[in-house]
Amino acid sequence: MNPLLEQFLSESRESLQGISEKLMQLENDPDSTQLMTELFRYVHTLKGNSGLFDFPELTRVLHAGEDLMDSVRDGRVAFSLQLTDALLDAMDYVGMLCDEIEKNDRYAANHVNDSLRLADTLRQMIGVPEASEAAAELPASPSPQGTESRAELLLLANLPEEIRLAAYQEAVSGGALHLLVYAPVEECFFQGDDPFHQARHTPGLLWGGITARKPWPKLAELDAYSCVLDFQVLSNAPIEEIREYYRYVAEQLKVIPLAAADLMAPGESTASAGRSAPPPPATAGTLSPEAGAAASTIIAVQREILSLPDQVTWIAGRIQGVAASLRGCLLAAGSDAALPSLRQASQSAVGRLSSAPLLAWLQEFTGTDRTDPTDPTDRTDETAVTVVTARGAAACCEPAEPGAPQPAFQVVSAAPQGPAPEGEVKFGRRAEDAFNGAKSLKVDQEKIDRLMNLIGEMVVAKNALPYLAGRAENVFGVPELSREIKAQYAVINRIAEEMQDSIMQVRMMPVSFVFQRFPRLVRDTSNKLAKKVNLVLEGEETEADKNIIESLGDPLVHIVRNSLDHGIESPEVRTAAGKPAVGTLTIRASQESDRVVIEIRDDGKGIDPAVIKRKAYEKGLINEDRLERISDQEAVNLVFTAGFSTAEAISDLSGRGVGMDVVRTAIEKVNGTVHLESEKGKGTLIRISLPLSMAITNVMIVESNGQIFGVPMDAVVETVRVPRAQIKTIKKSMATVLRGRIVPLKSLNSLLGSGAAQKANDEDELAVLVVNAGGVPLGILVDEFHETVEIILKPMTGVLSGLAAYSGSALLGDGSVLMVLNVKEVV
Amino acid sequence: MAIVYKKNSAVFSEVAGVEEAEALLEWLTKHPKGKLNLAACTHLHPANLQVLMAAERSAYVPPGDPALAAWLGSALKAKE
Repeated sequence: MNPLLEQFLSESRESLQGISEKLMQLENDPDSTQLMTELFRYVHTLKGNSGLFDFPELTRVLHAGEDLMDSVRDGRVAFSLQLTDALLDAMDYVGMLCDEIEKNDRYAANHVNDSLRLADTLRQMIGVPEASEAAAELPASPSPQGTESRAELLLLANLPEEIRLAAYQEAVSGGALHLLVYAPVEECFFQGDDPFHQARHTPGLLWGGITARKPWPKLAELDAYSCVLDFQVLSNAPIEEIREYYRYVAEQLKVIPLAAADLMAPGESTASAGRSAPPPPATAGTLSPEAGAAASTIIAVQREILSLPDQVTWIAGRIQGVAASLRGCLLAAGSDAALPSLRQASQSAVGRLSSAPLLAWLQEFTGTDRTDPTDPTDRTDETAVTVVTARGAAACCEPAEPGAPQPAFQVVSAAPQGPAPEGEVKFGRRAEDAFNGAKSLKVDQEKIDRLMNLIGEMVVAKNALPYLAGRAENVFGVPELSREIKAQYAVINRIAEEMQDSIMQVRMMPVSFVFQRFPRLVRDTSNKLAKKVNLVLEGEETEADKNIIESLGDPLVHIVRNSLDHGIESPEVRTAAGKPAVGTLTIRASQESDRVVIEIRDDGKGIDPAVIKRKAYEKGLINEDRLERISDQEAVNLVFTAGFSTAEAISDLSGRGVGMDVVRTAIEKVNGTVHLESEKGKGTLIRISLPLSMAITNVMIVESNGQIFGVPMDAVVETVRVPRAQIKTIKKSMATVLRGRIVPLKSLNSLLGSGAAQKANDEDELAVLVVNAGGVPLGILVDEFHETVEIILKPMTGVLSGLAAYSGSALLGDGSVLMVLNVKEVV
Repeated sequence: MAIVYKKNSAVFSEVAGVEEAEALLEWLTKHPKGKLNLAACTHLHPANLQVLMAAERSAYVPPGDPALAAWLGSALKAKE
């Protein structure tokens, strides 16, 4: 993957995140111009960047999004929930494409339809002004159904007879035929396009025609480089292939599926019209994309057809044809209201085999209600003009040209002076966008990790200096040298610590990195569950190591989902219980000495310990004995046990009995702890405590049977010396009383499988290391305590990784290897 | 040059690119009776095509390429 694309993907993700954040904020504060401007900037930048690459689908959706944002920003469209939903949908789609690009360098071709649909939805939101603009540029708004575009079928009148017959036969025998109307944008020549070439090579081409959009000006006034041609292509290729072929210009293409009758009927009706009436300018008029002129011509032609004598055998078909044409006009002009009356009139006309009812309807429609058929068409004409001028002016304002994907701007070398400034201005603006400082560097995480490892080795190497000083004094008898080494060591030590500290800072990330996804999650989930939830995030700036933060993501999602699904009640239940209808979910992060504490608190229904106990017993997670003795607090923490679920039914949100177990496992993996407190009816609090960093571990060195072992300081509660006389043996296991509490004792030697007895000191006292083993204190008998050291714990690899008793190894300053015990596994 | 301008005719050969349109337009303006010979033309950029369409010259030597001839037929005939 090339670096530019990589950069694009990473920036896109940031932008997408920014967009959804701003959307959420806007939902709460829809009037904020500042938020809207920021949001627009995000979408705009993203779209601009996407234009650098060959991703038309991506650009199309973003462009539609940008247009929508633009009209919202200008106050033409009100900000609404549906709008947020549509934009979020579109951004999810963009995110999905980005994922696919990241994986395969490209995305599958079948996204064209989705992107068209999304872009369409977004454009529809822009509402009335844009809609009529789309009508003026008929082909610019692709209509997947294509049903309303029957007027286009008149184009088929141009079809040479033998091709029409061949196509008709193919259609009758079940072949899929499509009429494509390809209307390139006027400035397409400057983008290096050759629409004629494009049209000529359409897959499955049967016939092609070219028409001009408007009457030709005098030759001297013609602008050869402003494309005013429309291309019509009759193709028998599958629709997917056509869409794929035209995917760069999908907005400019209109695909109309053809039935056999379509290939028959229009030819017939125009022919009959042509015979009796003066040759209608219909053909020429209709061929122009300006629907206004077309519609009035079509209506005029229909009136002529209806005025023909009724005494023919094909009268019913003729009436139906006219009705279909009129219906198409109405749909295109947006006067849907008149449709029912049209249907009524045509039905009665067919019933009586007379054109009169339909003619009467047409008279009434065009006569009394004059505004309707002519007005919209006039208006579309006007809009068409404004669109054109707006395009000309686009150079100096935001790019507002609808439908035009903005690929990398290419100025053809021989381009006349006219549109050139547009290019220049755009380049200028693009440069401004990029000019927001390069204060931060993007560095690959691997590089940081490598730095981290190197510093770790440095710390270890540095620790060798005191040993050296000791040897200088004791072995070689040079105390001066020893002092100097120690002085030098102090300097190196200070620098090494600072280095370590700063590299830690580099790896530190604010928890907002994981928190930022929750507003969206809570919004979507609570909407789905029809609950009202107010999410409060606190302490987002709290920092911790990147690995820790990342490991926090999934567990938090599980917990939040659980809280929403099981915790917070529906508004009715809440009101009945005397609570505010809107539930509150608080996620708070804070730092407590060298740990990060995350609290997730909801004011929902809480957990009933009795239910938990019963369920746990039913599932065989606890035995009868434990059921009797277990405290309520211990009981609610049973939800973290594997296989536990209280939900009666499995929903798609939670209830599979794996969630909380996964939470606990994930958190314990990074040396964290999770604890749950709950009060029935009041709510639940889940407390997650995590180390700030996992890189440096503090261990205490203990000696046993001539070997040294490390014990993580997290696990160590205290170290005591217990006289042998105070150790009692109860049923073969040892125990002692420590400050009035019975502490069971175990010998480290026997735990590790060597039978040697633990050594006592001169006063016959045994060294007891009291550790916290799963919440209960336990004494481990060792031979001797040593100092505590900071080490970089390396997990066991290869065959050694199967030894559960050790959590890893570390190198000590004198070069020896320290095995670090995994206390939970050993005892 | 894909278009060679003779005294009273423009002779197209192979592909007439987008950059030809300007000159073609100029020539057609100056030679209202100028004849067009597309016999050796295989493709022409739509910029040229619309110049031809605007010039409304219905008389021309059709291209040898039947596909192109069919396309041009629909375009140039429509303006007769």
